Amino acid sequence: MASTRDTSTPAPAAPRAAYVLGGNRIPFARAGGRYAQASNQDMLTAALDGLVARYGLQGERIGEVAAGAVLKHSRDFNLAREAVLGSALSPTTPAYDVQQACATGLETVVSLSNKIRLGQLESAVAGGVDTTSDAPIAVSDRLRRVLLDLSHAKTPQQRLKAIARLRPKDLAPATPRTSEPRTHLSMGEHQALTTAQWGISREAQDEVALRSHQRLAAAWDSGFFDDLVTPYRGLTRDANLRPDTSMEKLAKLKPTFGLSLDTPATMTAGNSTPLTDGASTVLLGSAEWAAEHDLTPLAAVVDAEAGAVDFVHGVDGLLMAPVFAVPRLLARHGLTLEDFQYVEIHEAFASTVLTTLAAWESEEFGRERLGLDGAFGKVDVDRLNVHGSSLAAGHPFAATGGRIVATVAKELHRRRAAQVAAGDDAPVRALVSICAAGGLGLTAILEAA
Amino acid sequence: MTDTYLELVNSGFTKKLAKQLGLPRPARLRRHQPGQPLLDGPALVLGTGPDADAVATLLSSPAGGPADPRPDDAPVVLDGWDLEVHRHPAPDVRYAAVVLVLTGVEHPDDLTQPVLAAASTLKSLRSGARVVTISRPALETDAPAVAAARQGVDGFLRSLAKELRGGATGNGLALAADVPVSAPSVVAGLRFFLSTRSAFVDGQLLEVDSDAGELPTDWEKPLAGKVAVVTGAARGIGAAIAEVLARDGATVVAVDVPAAGEQLAAVANRVKGTALQLDVTADDAGERILEHARTRHGRLDVVVHNAGITRDKLLANMSDDKWSSVLAVNIAAQLRINEALLTSGDFVDAPRIVALASTSGIAGNRGQTNYAASKGGVVGMVRATAPLLTPFGGTANAVAPGFIETDMTARIPAVTRQVARRLNSLQQGGLPVDVAETIAFLASPAAGGIVGRTLRVCGQNMVGR
Amino acid sequence: MSPVAEAREVVLPAVPGLGGLYARGAAGAARLAVDGGGKRVSRPLPDVVYAVRDLHVDAAHLTAYQRLLGEPGTDALPAGYVHVLAFPVATALMVRDDFPLPLLGMVHLANRVEQRRRLTLGEALAVRAHAEAMRPHPRGTQVDLVVEVTGGAGGDVAWRGVSTYLAPGLRLADTGDARAGDADAGAAPASERTPFTPPQPTGSWRLDADTGRRYGAVSGDRNPIHLSALTARPFGFPRAIAHGMYTASRLLADVGPARGAAFVWSVDFVKPVLLPATVAVSTRPADGGGYDLAAWHARTGKPHVLGSVTPLP
Repeated sequence: MASTRDTSTPAPAAPRAAYVLGGNRIPFARAGGRYAQASNQDMLTAALDGLVARYGLQGERIGEVAAGAVLKHSRDFNLAREAVLGSALSPTTPAYDVQQACATGLETVVSLSNKIRLGQLESAVAGGVDTTSDAPIAVSDRLRRVLLDLSHAKTPQQRLKAIARLRPKDLAPATPRTSEPRTHLSMGEHQALTTAQWGISREAQDEVALRSHQRLAAAWDSGFFDDLVTPYRGLTRDANLRPDTSMEKLAKLKPTFGLSLDTPATMTAGNSTPLTDGASTVLLGSAEWAAEHDLTPLAAVVDAEAGAVDFVHGVDGLLMAPVFAVPRLLARHGLTLEDFQYVEIHEAFASTVLTTLAAWESEEFGRERLGLDGAFGKVDVDRLNVHGSSLAAGHPFAATGGRIVATVAKELHRRRAAQVAAGDDAPVRALVSICAAGGLGLTAILEAA
Repeated sequence: MTDTYLELVNSGFTKKLAKQLGLPRPARLRRHQPGQPLLDGPALVLGTGPDADAVATLLSSPAGGPADPRPDDAPVVLDGWDLEVHRHPAPDVRYAAVVLVLTGVEHPDDLTQPVLAAASTLKSLRSGARVVTISRPALETDAPAVAAARQGVDGFLRSLAKELRGGATGNGLALAADVPVSAPSVVAGLRFFLSTRSAFVDGQLLEVDSDAGELPTDWEKPLAGKVAVVTGAARGIGAAIAEVLARDGATVVAVDVPAAGEQLAAVANRVKGTALQLDVTADDAGERILEHARTRHGRLDVVVHNAGITRDKLLANMSDDKWSSVLAVNIAAQLRINEALLTSGDFVDAPRIVALASTSGIAGNRGQTNYAASKGGVVGMVRATAPLLTPFGGTANAVAPGFIETDMTARIPAVTRQVARRLNSLQQGGLPVDVAETIAFLASPAAGGIVGRTLRVCGQNMVGR
Repeated sequence: MSPVAEAREVVLPAVPGLGGLYARGAAGAARLAVDGGGKRVSRPLPDVVYAVRDLHVDAAHLTAYQRLLGEPGTDALPAGYVHVLAFPVATALMVRDDFPLPLLGMVHLANRVEQRRRLTLGEALAVRAHAEAMRPHPRGTQVDLVVEVTGGAGGDVAWRGVSTYLAPGLRLADTGDARAGDADAGAAPASERTPFTPPQPTGSWRLDADTGRRYGAVSGDRNPIHLSALTARPFGFPRAIAHGMYTASRLLADVGPARGAAFVWSVDFVKPVLLPATVAVSTRPADGGGYDLAAWHARTGKPHVLGSVTPLP
């Protein structure tokens, strides 16, 4: 890594650390399931209230709350602030909205941590929420234009002229698209291309999915989520979790993406994340604020790096940005993948994880695309997504970052405590990698406090 | 959960009808509101001797700041309650409370004068009035006449309570031999029985075992500075306990199973406490409760074992699972948690354990052998646990609710429910807050002299004692 | 260009409407059918240049085009938009009585645009159009319609389009047309190309049945073959087909800002897109710079449009 370190920006000295102090989310529901009637604001408020209850923050003026949603109603222009006003937090808690596709949740953590590091904030709550059950449905673009022109029209003639442009078809509502605006390909179709490009097998993908379900189920059974999740609307566990799934069951599913490619289609509903509703929050603070509030810092948010790829011209796969961001991030700190006891790669699709790992393990890719001497490195399965990830938990877009960060922080704290008890004072680090629509990726380093 | 019958007999035409038909007419009970006066009328203190004088002084003296710190050898001067107190019944006065100080009775004949004096006031008692006896329990070592007089108070009080109407209650304090009437638990117990906090406690004799305990500086905030854990706090009685403890000044850790987390969070936020999602049957539940309280709130003073389940079945049809799960949650978990607390070394600053028993556990209830066994177990548990805590000024006590209007009792078939409600002297079901008030009293520093007792909150249910 | 310079210039007062031109084209087709029996081209290309001066762009029209094609709403005129503006001038030339080929039934084979600089909203444009290089094609006779657009006062040619059309079934008589050899943009016949292997798509288009009507409304090209199955059937199409220039312009839009300000944008229309359709597309970087463009049938892999965008220095 030393060779690339020279070319990267030196790590600036952070004035102080920002810590993850805890988190709370609601169990994730399948679209159209238990939260079918709940809005983004409802769910975010519930997650926020659970956080307040867990950490005794009633009436507390938090420095700032940042949250967002990917699928958002126009009325939710102040989603985070409205959720604060509906919560048990002090109404004098400021808030702002963030939107960075599936990286929204992690970006709120990163930006608020930076404010804490700067001394601008003492405490913060990061969050994210998404519902595909209560997604905004807009009028068609043409109807919208007609209505806008109608509202600007001054004479009856102008009004008639505007209305005359309408066709029956224009009255059909426009449902939100999950496809990329520039390519019109769905995320699944994009990933199918990347999957084919890297030659990822169906079996390998199903194994990732199976492991995700098994590990998440084990975490639930062991009570790991007892202080990370607050039930909502009668749902007490992630509804998408299938503890009893198996390679046989997964193998029976028909492929859903990449059907028109000349390679066999391998991506199924089983090894892709389902549409999910849910919300998550993360409590962040300075060491001083944590001490004043009798809270235990779990992990420091050390640094983050965003990346992006040119998927529009097919240069890289849509979800491959973290592949480039992580080497830059690690170079800045003089770290290699070996320095991380725990790696979280968001399972947008099982093959996203596998193509990311494949790229990092490829000598050729390392040399030609990452500018390294060889392969970037390897992540063993026993360090990867140890409590399951989005394939099992589901993926309410903006809520995934908070889910991962809270899970990681708790796990880091636990491992560090065990390690210190065994007389080992070495740092315990986690790498978090989240891919997002638009060819984006956001990655971060957390270190056990 | 609304008692429609109670509403009907207390309003409009149906009120008149019920009166003419001689139907039971339960009264609307007054409950505690912060800032409420202790009594809404004069009090009559009956009895002679220094104890009666001391009680009359306590009730009538003006309120003042606590005389603390007092010189060790100074006579105990209690902060008075500033009530209008009569020592003899005056005609045409409607009393809000009658206190019979009977600690000095030596022969049943000694009861005659105070009892008849009290009798003259009964027809004009204010609604929701309080009759409280202060006596001493009959012991084997007493002279027979003394024991007869003392035990006579027991029978008298329980019968009188059944005669009282209009939401009035009769309760007694039975003071162990060396406990003065000025003991904190006697003072606080008297105040509890006089106040609306004991609205659904009726016909009970509460024994005060020692003069341990500490009176509050503020009767509205007897739990100020205390950290209290309430299990099963997500709903019903548990939620009410959390709210009352918080109202009385405690910082509350609300505990319930993870599955009840949504309601639990709402309760925690309402009481400005913290939520701890935890299954009390977990092996390390005690350690986790203590860890949470210690790291998040710096200490642990009060544990209220409220979490409980019912799995009703006639014993002939009882399955292993139904029997075992009830015993596991209702008593085994409490024993395990107490053990963890007692051995931790962090539960030694006048700690309080208050556990939920049940009248079923005392009097029995058909179809509830498992539940009654567990709740009877609670009565035994606190009796044996309390002595382990007294070295640190701690106590363990239980509260045995009778028919309480909760989601659980709302599921009882309508007719059965109506009958069950009327089967007590107050002719109505209690509310979760009534149980909570009694728990808050037993959890308070002033209740340190009440050791291993079970106090019923049942409106003097006809079954059991 | 020397032959053009000598040609007679016909200055039109404004860009003619395509609707009227098609009506005249239909009449012309009838006339040609009578004149030449419809099988043989009997005349050379007219030695004439049509011109429109002082053409102004309507912002609302530009915006409508940009929205339909997915171009950003800037003041720059997309290369495809300039074609929409200017090509009717060439069409006017094609409906002249002495134009040797019938407008209706003509097939757009290929299109090559050289954008030397970006034209912008507010510039007064001047358009010149002529026809050249009438030459045989295995399926009939092809001809190039050359349109040049200059912007500002007396500027150089900023935009030059060569649209190659086929009049199917018409054989070229030996007319001794001097311009026959001046084919600078003639597309190689589809049969001569190497067989198309679809690359990994970079995108996909879902084209609704009204795609032709919507592009027709913006471009003015309401050729019946684009409007509905009913109107397309008489011309041998089972359903309406997408405008070739619509597909070419969308490919150009998909390349995005990476295409730069000056480029050669060249496409061959291999097979029409029958509407509605799902079309797979690719706009990958080409080996020698620029981008390879391809749109093909998502299921069969048969190509619709192939082309490239190559930056100009």
